[in-house]
Amino acid sequence: MAEVVLDKVNKLYENGFHAVQDLDLDIADGEFLVLVGPSGCGKSTALRMVAGLEDITTGTLRIGDRVVNTLSSRDRDIAMVFQSYALYPHMSVADNIAYGLKLRRMDKQEIEQRVHRAAGMLELGHLLDRKPKQLSGGQRQRVAMGRAIVREPQVFLMDEPLSNLDAKLRVQMRAEIAQIQRDLDVTTIYVTHDQTEAMTMGDRIALMKAGVLQQVGNPQHIYDSPDNIFVAGFIGSPPMNMAIGSVERGATGYLLRLGSAVLSLPESVLADRPALAGYAGRDVAVGVRSEDMEDASLARDAAPDARIRARVTLTEALGSEIVVHFCVDAPKVETADTKELERDARTEDLPASQQGTPFVAAFAPRSRVRPGDDIEIAVDRERLHFFDPQTNLAIRS
Amino acid sequence: MAITGNQAGPQTIAAVGEGPPTEVVRLGTAKGNWFRRVGWSHLVGVLALVFSLFPILFVVSAALNPVGTLSSSQLLPTRMSLDNFGAILSGSFPRWFWNSLLIGVLSAALSMFISACAAFAFSRFRFTGRRAGLLAVLLIQLFPQFLAIVALYLIFADITNLWPAIGLNSIWGLLLLYLGGALGVNTWLMKGFFDTIPKDLDESAKVDGASHAQVFFGIILPLVRPILAVTGLLGFIAAVNEFLIASVFLTDDSVKTAAVGLYGLVADPQTANANFGLFAAGAVILAVPTVALFQFLQRYIVGGLTAGAVKG
Repeated sequence: MAEVVLDKVNKLYENGFHAVQDLDLDIADGEFLVLVGPSGCGKSTALRMVAGLEDITTGTLRIGDRVVNTLSSRDRDIAMVFQSYALYPHMSVADNIAYGLKLRRMDKQEIEQRVHRAAGMLELGHLLDRKPKQLSGGQRQRVAMGRAIVREPQVFLMDEPLSNLDAKLRVQMRAEIAQIQRDLDVTTIYVTHDQTEAMTMGDRIALMKAGVLQQVGNPQHIYDSPDNIFVAGFIGSPPMNMAIGSVERGATGYLLRLGSAVLSLPESVLADRPALAGYAGRDVAVGVRSEDMEDASLARDAAPDARIRARVTLTEALGSEIVVHFCVDAPKVETADTKELERDARTEDLPASQQGTPFVAAFAPRSRVRPGDDIEIAVDRERLHFFDPQTNLAIRS
Repeated sequence: MAITGNQAGPQTIAAVGEGPPTEVVRLGTAKGNWFRRVGWSHLVGVLALVFSLFPILFVVSAALNPVGTLSSSQLLPTRMSLDNFGAILSGSFPRWFWNSLLIGVLSAALSMFISACAAFAFSRFRFTGRRAGLLAVLLIQLFPQFLAIVALYLIFADITNLWPAIGLNSIWGLLLLYLGGALGVNTWLMKGFFDTIPKDLDESAKVDGASHAQVFFGIILPLVRPILAVTGLLGFIAAVNEFLIASVFLTDDSVKTAAVGLYGLVADPQTANANFGLFAAGAVILAVPTVALFQFLQRYIVGGLTAGAVKG
C-alpha cells in the first residue's frame, strides 16, 4: 500500500504529439482515483506511465517513497487489469492467477492458498481448471481481477476494465470492483471514459481533456461546481444544458436574460459568485442541470421571474421521472470545450435542427406535459452555473 | 402437416387440415442433377489424387521389384520382394540416412529458434534499424542461395584449412549454411504470426513480473506453436531434400546426406539402370520420417499455414 504522486509528468511522442501535459496528481494511500475523459485525452497514457509500459518524458513519478521513473514494471509492485483482460490463453484460470506469484518464486503452498482466497472472493472457485476461452466475458473479467488481487500489490491500475461487458454486467461488476477495492484498501487508479463509472466508483475523479488535467475532486463536488464548460458538460447524464445569456443590472438587482426569458438573480447567487457582477452587460454561458428545472404547474411557489416558457418537443416517461425535451430561444454555447464535447458524444455532424438551444429537463412523474404543449418551466436559480464564454472557466470569485 | 418421402429424393411437405388450398413446398430441390451439383468436385479430387499418387506408386513398385532395373520397372510389379531394402540397408545408406536426419532435425530446430528470436524482436521492440533490418532480411531472401555457391565454396575452403570441423566435407559446415539460408523467410513468416498475438499479453506479463525472456518462453512461444510447427516442418523437408549445395560440399561417402548418396547410385550411366531398385528403396525409406513428422504436426499445421498466410 502506498501513495502515488505524479509531479509535472509529461509524455511527448517522437512525432511531436504531446499526450500528457504537466500532469500533477497526488493519490493518497488506499484511495480510489478515477481518471476520466474522452478518448484520446491521455488518460490511458498516464496510466501506462504509472505502470511502466510507457516512458515518462519529463517529470517525476513516485510510488510510496520511491521515485520509479526508470524502474521497470516488474519492480514497481503494481498490478494492472487490461481492457482486453489479456488472459494467457494457454493457461488455466488457476495458472493465470498464479503466474505473477510463480515468477516471484513464491512457495507453492502459499501460491495455492492465495489463488484459492482470490478465487473465493471472486466466485471463481469452480472454474479454476478451465481455459480462458471456455469462460464468459464476465468470468474473464473476474479472472483478470483475480490476477491483480492475488499479487497483493501496492497499487491497482485498471484500464477501462468494464468496457467489454454488456450493460447489466457492467453495473454489477462496477459495484463489485468498488467493494473489493474498499475491502483490500489498495491504492487504485481506474481509467474510464464512462462518466457514470467515474461518478459511482471513485473517491475522487480526475478529469482530463487533450492531455491536460481539468479538475480533480470528489464526484459530488465536481458535479456541483465544475471548473469549466468541459467538465460541466462531461460529468452528468443527461449532460448539463447550456445556452448563452446575458447578465444585466436591473432596478432591484441583477437579471439574467436567456433568449426571450428574463430571470431575476437572487442576491445569494451573486453572493456565492462575486465575479458575476463584473459580467453585467456581457454574455455568459449559463448552465442548468436537468433536475434543477421543474414543471411550473407543479411548483406553484416558484416566483414568476424564475420561469422560462418553451414548447415541449418530446417527453420520455421513465417512471421515476419524466424527461422533457424543449427548445430555449437563446443561442447555443459554441466554444472549444463544447466542440470537444460534441466530438466525444459523436454529435458534431448532426445538423443544427432548429434555432435556439435544445434543453432537457427532468420533471416529477406527476407532470402531465405532452409534446407540443406550451409550458412554463421553473428554474432553480440558486443552482445555475455561469461560465465565461471566452475562457470557458466558471465564474465564481 | 404431413411429410411424405419422395423416391426421387426431395421431400414434400403438404399442409393438411383447415384451409382449402394445400400448398406444396419442396425441400432440398436444387437445379441440375447430382453430378453438376457435387459430382464434378469428386472427379477433380480423384484426378488430383491419381496425379499425385502416380510417382509414389511408381517408386514403391520399383522398390519392391526384385529385378531392380529401370527398364524392368512396371507400375504394377509382377513379383514382389524386399530384396532391394535389404541390399540398401546393408550398404552406406544407413549412414547417409542418419546424416540427413541429423541435419534435418538440427537445422529445423535451430533455424526455428533463431527465427523465433528474430521475429520476437522485430514484432515487439521498436529500435533503430528495425525497418532496415526487416527489409534487408527480405531482400537477401530474394536471391537464391545457389547464386552464392561459388563464393560459399571459397569461403568454406578457407574455413576447412583453419577449422576442418565446420568446413567442407562436414555436416556441421552444411548445417551452418542451411541455418543462414532459412532465416529470412522464417523470420518474416513468424513475425506475421507474432504480430497477431495481442501486445496486451506481453504487457500484462511484464506487469506480473516477467522479464523479456520469460515473456518470450512462457507466453509467446506456447501461443505461436502452429507457426513453429510449420517453419520446423518446412525447414526439415528443405534440409532433407536439399541436393545441390550438399552435393558440392559433401564428397566423402561417410558424410553424404541421403539425397547426395542416392544420387550417386544412379549417377553413373554404367550402373544407373541396375541400381534403380536400390535408389527407389532408399527414396521410400527417406520419405518415412517426413510423413511421420507431417502426421505428428498435422493439427498445428492447418492452423499455422492459414494464419501465417492471411495475417502475415
